[in-house]
Amino acid sequence: MESLTDVIVLGVSHRTAPVAVREKLTVADDQIEPALRRAVALPGIREVALLCTCNRVEIYAVAADREAALRALGSDLAVRASVAAAELEPHLYVRADAEAVHHLFRVASSLDSLVVGEPQILGQVKTTHDLALRAGTAGSILNLCFSRAFRVARRVRRETAIARNPVSVSSVAIELARQVFGGFEGRRVLIVGAGKMSDLAARALQGQGAALTVTNRTAARADELAARMGCGTHPWDDLVGALAAADIVLASTGAREPVLTRALVGRAQKLRRGRPLFLIDIAVPRDVEPSCAELEGIYLADIDDLQKVAAGHRDGRRGEAEQAESIVEQELARFIESFRGRQVGPTVSALRARVLSLAKTEAEKLVAGMPHLAERDRRAILDFADSVAKKLLHAPQMALKKDTSGDGVPLVTAVQRLFDLTVVESVEDPGGEARARDSRDSASRDSASRDSASRDSDSRDSDGRDSDGRDSDGPAEDAPVANQQKKASGS
Amino acid sequence: MATFTAIQIGVYAIASALYLGYLLGLGERSAQLGRLVLALGVLLHFSDIGARCLHRQNPVSSTPEAMGFVGFLTAAGFLGASFRYRLAAAGAFAVPAVLALLVLARVVPAEPGAPAMGTLGRTHIFLATVGVAVFTLAAVLAVLYLIEDRQLKHKRFGELIGRAGASLETLDRLAARCVSFGFPIFTLALLTGALWVARLGLLWGAAAMRPEYLLALATWAAFGVLLVARVGAGWQGRRAAWLTLGGFGGAMLVLVVYFLRHAA
Repeated sequence: MESLTDVIVLGVSHRTAPVAVREKLTVADDQIEPALRRAVALPGIREVALLCTCNRVEIYAVAADREAALRALGSDLAVRASVAAAELEPHLYVRADAEAVHHLFRVASSLDSLVVGEPQILGQVKTTHDLALRAGTAGSILNLCFSRAFRVARRVRRETAIARNPVSVSSVAIELARQVFGGFEGRRVLIVGAGKMSDLAARALQGQGAALTVTNRTAARADELAARMGCGTHPWDDLVGALAAADIVLASTGAREPVLTRALVGRAQKLRRGRPLFLIDIAVPRDVEPSCAELEGIYLADIDDLQKVAAGHRDGRRGEAEQAESIVEQELARFIESFRGRQVGPTVSALRARVLSLAKTEAEKLVAGMPHLAERDRRAILDFADSVAKKLLHAPQMALKKDTSGDGVPLVTAVQRLFDLTVVESVEDPGGEARARDSRDSASRDSASRDSASRDSDSRDSDGRDSDGRDSDGPAEDAPVANQQKKASGS
Repeated sequence: MATFTAIQIGVYAIASALYLGYLLGLGERSAQLGRLVLALGVLLHFSDIGARCLHRQNPVSSTPEAMGFVGFLTAAGFLGASFRYRLAAAGAFAVPAVLALLVLARVVPAEPGAPAMGTLGRTHIFLATVGVAVFTLAAVLAVLYLIEDRQLKHKRFGELIGRAGASLETLDRLAARCVSFGFPIFTLALLTGALWVARLGLLWGAAAMRPEYLLALATWAAFGVLLVARVGAGWQGRRAAWLTLGGFGGAMLVLVVYFLRHAA
């Protein structure tokens, strides 16, 4: 039996563990595949994926035996980090079943991030899935969970403003500069002062095509920073000339008095013939005389301005996060529902097969022991057994198909347990929606989407009703396979 | 015809409301919807102009027709530009302007005893129409520039009008482009206009002192100074925006005076 109840996640994140612990658990990119192969060989584990970012290390797994799997994964983690299991214990969290899926959805949607709404995490979760596919350790269940997580994350991003406004000082500065200049391709950025404060913003601007120049009171430190940034320097004595040539200024000197005085900026602005100049002052005490902002074409933002904007955006994100959480909840309920729906068909088939074959075998045994019977009587006995079995099956079958109750153990699971049925998820397509919508062409699409779906199932973003227990009449409907093997969808 | 006009006005009004709604924070959707409605309005307007042409009321046959055509050109110009640039915020100014022009053009009665147009007169009205439409777009961009500039200067970063719109430099560049495109057209319009009135014998004597002639010259001069200052003295940004608005105001005054004279 295989279902969502087997999904587990175990890990540490910025919420539960200090960086000192997290860094020990981190797995280098090229070590993830070997680690996955090792993990999948551990007792009780069917599928596994490993999410490793600077803020979290999490193992997502489908377990045949939850207890054993958790024990094995826990001690594996401890061994790898070379710490005692007991030492790791307080930092570890474990989620199972729908909660594990919920956790995955929240992580992918950047709701569990240190900076809520930061955009990198979705890419990292995608990489996690890709690596597991490549290592052959992601099977049908994890594929379904991950591809749905991507969809949820996209929906959250589309329907809420959670990732819209920047919340760090450097990205706010860049966003404001964008209001003046549009893009940064070919823009000249002057870094005043060789402090480390401006590194982030400067690098981001450089990444968007801006050309950097450094100027600093002590030339040696300017050279040092310029070497680190891969850019040129400008002599400190000619600050006016440097300003005249720049579009954006990042000031972060350690000077006690403003370095860029109104007189100096005014002189530069004359040379600039009115071209706009954006001054970003992230130094404390300030480097730019505040009255510079009164000059024509000069725009000034100091650290307070930037922090105020960033704080405002953070507040905004908190509000959006609530909305995002409810989207996640809603999607989770939908997912569980559709997952259960997926299982109804195969479970009904498995149940029928089990009961009918039992009746048939027993009847045949009985008939074989009564050679005196006429052929007609034998037929009648066989038919009788078959008909009783079918009558008996009727009610449970109908109940299974109708079961929409959200509470308690779903009938599908109950029946599987009661009759010890092994039902193989009939879907291998990680972007399961495609199949749900049109099962006729799913056979051809399945193979194609196997490698692409994890990336681009965003092209089909209908929140379509995946199934009402009816989508299981796909090609592999009645495949009650015993002892299914791990399916490495990538291979 | 009256119903059709009313429908057009209604459609432009809805588009204006949607763009204004966007400006007031109703979100991206409002602007997208606004653009859709505006496209419908432009289409209706276009077919209306076509129908009027069939009734021998082409855009250059009278001043109200020309005004309606200015509105059409402004709307179409904005619509076209909005696909290339992020100008949603500008829509809140441009579309109501179009609405006003259309209302003026359709509600003001056609002048009864209009002088015979002739080719020269038609050419003049056509050129002036196009020129004023382009200047209208420039003025809309200038207004946006001034608002955004003010917000940046006063560090009201949270309420930036341009946050989903064009940057200051883009607005400035587009406005400059509009002016340098509109100026030669407007110059030709002035020349043909002068020739036209000269032929009617109105250029000399007391008639030459009509205020709209002087205003038209002042408008032309303002845009001329702007062009020269932009290229020669590196004028840009705020000063350029104000001058653009001044020129546009002059052009509007010309129209108003013209209307007052002919409505009287």
